[in-house]
Amino acid sequence: MKLGTKLTLFNTISKLVIVVLFVLLVPVLIKNISSNYVDSKLIKQKNKLLQIVKSQGIETYIVNGEAYGSYLPLKDEYISLDEVDPKYFLDTIQRGKRLFSEGDTLEYRILSHTFKVKNKNYLLEIGKSVDTLDETSIPLQNIAFEVLLGMILLTVLADQIYSTYVLKPLRIIIKTKLVGQKFPNFQSYRKVRTTTSDFEHLDLSIHKMVETIADKFHKEREFISNASHELMTPISILQSKIENMFEEEDVNDELKVRLLEMQKILNRLKSITKTLLLISQIENEQFLKEDKVSVSELLQDVYDEISIRLQDKNIDYEMNVPDNWYMVNINKFLLFNLFFNLINNAIKYNREGGSISITAVAVHDKFVISITDTGIGIDAEALPFIFNRFKKFRQSLQQDSFGLGLPIVKSIAGFHDIEIDVSSEKDVGSTFKLILPAMLIVVD
Amino acid sequence: MNVLIIEDEKALAQELEIFLTNYNYICEVCYDGASASEKIATNLYDFILIDLGLPDYDGLDLLKELKKSGSDAACIILTARTEIDDRIKGLDLGADDYLPKPFSLLELQSRMQAIIRRKFGVKNNIMDLDGFLIDLTNRTISYGTSAVNTITKKEFDLIAYLILHKNRTLTRMQLSEHIWGSVVNNDYDSNYIDAHIKNIRKKLNAFAPPDWLETVRGLGYKIKINA
Repeated sequence: MKLGTKLTLFNTISKLVIVVLFVLLVPVLIKNISSNYVDSKLIKQKNKLLQIVKSQGIETYIVNGEAYGSYLPLKDEYISLDEVDPKYFLDTIQRGKRLFSEGDTLEYRILSHTFKVKNKNYLLEIGKSVDTLDETSIPLQNIAFEVLLGMILLTVLADQIYSTYVLKPLRIIIKTKLVGQKFPNFQSYRKVRTTTSDFEHLDLSIHKMVETIADKFHKEREFISNASHELMTPISILQSKIENMFEEEDVNDELKVRLLEMQKILNRLKSITKTLLLISQIENEQFLKEDKVSVSELLQDVYDEISIRLQDKNIDYEMNVPDNWYMVNINKFLLFNLFFNLINNAIKYNREGGSISITAVAVHDKFVISITDTGIGIDAEALPFIFNRFKKFRQSLQQDSFGLGLPIVKSIAGFHDIEIDVSSEKDVGSTFKLILPAMLIVVD
Repeated sequence: MNVLIIEDEKALAQELEIFLTNYNYICEVCYDGASASEKIATNLYDFILIDLGLPDYDGLDLLKELKKSGSDAACIILTARTEIDDRIKGLDLGADDYLPKPFSLLELQSRMQAIIRRKFGVKNNIMDLDGFLIDLTNRTISYGTSAVNTITKKEFDLIAYLILHKNRTLTRMQLSEHIWGSVVNNDYDSNYIDAHIKNIRKKLNAFAPPDWLETVRGLGYKIKINA
């Protein structure tokens, strides 16, 4: 999930939680506030009544010992005054139900107060209906919820806009410097404009890291290229000397065999050097990609080169490639070497009398060429490393490779944006799939 | 044939001289560009072998000078520099061939022979080996009146290479370098030469035993021609 999305999501959820909590609290709050308000009003009324009793005498309300009662037409307020037992004492404000002569039972907030006038004890009750109170809390809750929801939407929108703005440099850094860049081949590095120091720091750090890595890569390539170039001349001299010695008249056969051994070792050195040089040349992009080649013809060329090896091991070779497929924007020399090495491996690691099959199919807009052998297979744990230089996992019968065949294949494939997919089962065989992008194949 | 060897690595220049002298070329050697430039201006050569990486001279400049002087010497560029543009530049400037170091001396000789055939139009290039007529120009083999057309391209390459270096033992290494030289290969084994030779013998045996194709135990093969 993107950082911006996460921030927005968090903002929205946290605000919603707070609002819901608040809205749930509203009834309690309202009840509290309104009961306080009602209580103070009741006390005021009580005081006023006591005042009247004090100044005008209890007779204003109670005549001949008859209880006094009064209520509003809808009975949402009432007052009652009555004589009670002299020992009775009450001074409370409580909720309670009252029954009216008409048979209605209503709930009230009731102030009960006893007071004494002329040695007689009186109980005063002032009630206020609570229904009216409860009724107000629900609409209030609704209003609060709607208003707050609106506010949340506004703030979330504002957050979204601001975070988009403030995270823009990060987005640019990710888009232009990390995603889709073919590491480590970065093009010219453009500074990202930002006022956020963290992003500035990030941008600069990435820049520096990439520069360091690119520099190291460059140096490694340069070293391999220079080293292999420099080795060519001494190898050349040695080879010439050995070749001339073969023709010396006083060299006997025993010496010749030893010269041959030297030649073999020199040849090995030469192969390694040449291969390293080739890889470094591919990595330095010193090859052109302008050739157009028929896939089946190229594979036929490879077959012509390699048929003696198939024959030597009695391996069945089956090729199923459409004649109208042409590879374009490729380097023929390199592609030849790619197929040669793959097929050569398929022979080398095959069993006597095994088989190799080459098929080509179009999958969506890509083209897949598969080379399947019935060889010794590759261990699952070795599979991720088979393209590493100088790694030898598979032991062929002849100890004659030095672990650069697949690195060549990988370099050439990478140079042409060809993907390689390897699957293998021990003692059953391996399949190397070359996945060619649409731009490399033309079907005529 | 006169050959000018321009090579700043003295050890290599000497080996080239020894080898080519053995093959009856008349050799002169220069270790730097300046003296080579003088020699090109004053003498006539059939072959000029140029190392591109000279200390005092760009080998390609020498090539330009040579073409300007109107010489029709055949040029072969020898170089450890394998950059692709050098190759194109060299061939554009009229180099006849290009041999990247490290190369085999036998390969050099084979390329020189190819140039001679091309440039000087050698017509009589048919070898008679105990009744087998091997036409190196048209790349055909016949025995008596019948053509031997089962021989593959690779097999003919091997025969032609052995004929070119007749009476000399060629190791499996040298042979495989010649026929698989363009492939950058992971392995350095050359056992497949034996399989090729076996095939060649089998195919020729249908007509007559090719005794001239000899196995040299422990070393390699040679074609014996009594001149």
